[in-house]
Amino acid sequence: MRSRLKWGDFVIIAAVLALATALTAWLAWGASDGQLYTEVWQDDVLVERVLLTDDTNRTIDLDGHNVIVLAGRTARVASADCHDQVCVRTGTLTHAGQVAVCLPNRVILKLVGETGEIDAIVS
Amino acid sequence: MQPKKLTLCGMLTALAVVLSLVERLFPLDAIVPVPGVKLGLANVVTLFALTRLSARDALVIVLCRVALSSLLMGSVTAFLFSLFGGLLALAVMGLLLRAEGKFCSVLGVSVAGAAAHNIGQIIAAVIWMQTGAVVAYLPWLLVMSVPLGLVTGLTAAVVLAHLQKIDFRV
Amino acid sequence: MKRIFATFLLLLTLTACAAKPASYTADFFAMDTFMSVTVCGESEDTAREAAFACEQTVNALEPALSRTREDGDLYRLNHADGTVCTVSDETYAAIEAAVQYAELTGGAFDPTMATLTDLWSINTENAHVPAQAEIEAALAKVGYENIVLLGDNQVQLKNGAQIDLGGIGKGFATDAAADVLAAQDEGAATGALVQLGGNIGAFGANPAREGGGWTIGVGDPDDTADYVATVEVQDKSVVTSGDYERYFEQDGKRYHHIFDPATGYPADTGLRSVTVVDESSTRADALTTALFVMGLEDGMAFCAQNGIAAIFVTSEKQVYTTDAVASACIYTFLGADKGYNDAQ
Repeated sequence: MRSRLKWGDFVIIAAVLALATALTAWLAWGASDGQLYTEVWQDDVLVERVLLTDDTNRTIDLDGHNVIVLAGRTARVASADCHDQVCVRTGTLTHAGQVAVCLPNRVILKLVGETGEIDAIVS
Repeated sequence: MQPKKLTLCGMLTALAVVLSLVERLFPLDAIVPVPGVKLGLANVVTLFALTRLSARDALVIVLCRVALSSLLMGSVTAFLFSLFGGLLALAVMGLLLRAEGKFCSVLGVSVAGAAAHNIGQIIAAVIWMQTGAVVAYLPWLLVMSVPLGLVTGLTAAVVLAHLQKIDFRV
Repeated sequence: MKRIFATFLLLLTLTACAAKPASYTADFFAMDTFMSVTVCGESEDTAREAAFACEQTVNALEPALSRTREDGDLYRLNHADGTVCTVSDETYAAIEAAVQYAELTGGAFDPTMATLTDLWSINTENAHVPAQAEIEAALAKVGYENIVLLGDNQVQLKNGAQIDLGGIGKGFATDAAADVLAAQDEGAATGALVQLGGNIGAFGANPAREGGGWTIGVGDPDDTADYVATVEVQDKSVVTSGDYERYFEQDGKRYHHIFDPATGYPADTGLRSVTVVDESSTRADALTTALFVMGLEDGMAFCAQNGIAAIFVTSEKQVYTTDAVASACIYTFLGADKGYNDAQ
């Protein structure tokens, strides 16, 4: 029995380290997936997808129909030109799974990302 | 089973249990901040049994060692973890040893065994705890298994070389 | 060498077992509301297919349940001037269910409120409080007894009654989506969250949670982005009816869309919302409306008698739950910091 290192030993060590690296990358990818995003859909088209951080400060104007304000890790429809104002009344979205919908303008504002306390709100 | 072989199996099991106990005296996770990191000295016995005895004998020794050391100091979880780890390590080393000499040396086999042991433990943890979160420890355990596997492999190589010198046979 | 590769492949697949399964979300507009179907499964392809299958089923149901679509069965039935009409299987089944729940609730839920809701025109720009004579004229045509189910998909409407299945339509569609999901191949749809307006169906296992349950927030009537309690459910539907969904204001008074069939006015029972947790989304849909109309006291008594899991939110910010809630879901009250009181 010889204990001198063979090329295969390096292959094994490399494979173990590669597995560790791949796993780290996979976990990191999963973690980045866990961030909070806001999505703005208009007529079944995704018009904006923004990563929400504590520093987010943005206003999205959908041709004057709906004005969406992103502030920190929250999003809300600030104003709308529709008659029912349901999307404005929905208030400020703060966690993944929340949605504000403007039916007349077919606009959807939603938060997606890491699973929060809830999966959906019934109202 | 020949009396000599039976005796040897018994001694090896005892040795493996003792090594598991001794390992506890060196709390490696105090130095390396990864929970569950261990020297894996018991792998030396598995490696020895695989090379000098048969895969079946090695399996019996692993099962006895896991059962005994869990009885002595562990819980159900510890038993489950080392069972999965021990069996996966045994399977991987058993397969790799067939290519030993040509493809790789005992050192490589030992590193693969250490890595497999950790993977097995984590699989057990995922099943037991019903959460994938523990997988986060695996990369660090795998990185650590390289130096630790080399140490145990070196130990095994020294023992095996010595036995070859004295022409030890079962 | 082959063995070695096989070994590592085995190791990789073993570690991959810890991977989270794929999911796909289909968002769409149907039945005058926003709908979202999320399907979790072994692969994204099968999850997407299952989600689209649900979307198609809901879209296909729309003409059968809508009374405004001129190509639909309901429109034809409502305009048949009391003659016998043959309708599709879906329409017949939905009318049958609606009549069943109207009987169960003693008419607190009534599928013949169309003339009244048309009169009030809620959710349109000319919503207004009608004259008392108009309300009485409309009420004369209301009454589920006017629906005659003749079997073989034949229906007759008497006394000028007009059917509106809006009260159970989304529930009916949620149940249809549940059937579609159950018919998927093994592993294609291991879990799903179906949100059709105020109806939520939570099926199978939620991969994001230990134990696989789905946590649904019960909306805060004053801020629908927030919630006053959560219910953790599996293979159940959660439905809410509230006075805040659709309403208009006239002379400083708020008029909402849940009408009391007895008065012809929006139900004024001191409730803000009623949430029902049930296996059948159709039943839950009908019951939320009925319980809202019954009010807290009668509603609680009705639930106790029929073993219904319901959560009542009153305008005094009291949150009541029925006895059946404990067995239907894991209920957690979370409204304390929003000024709500757990009345149990």
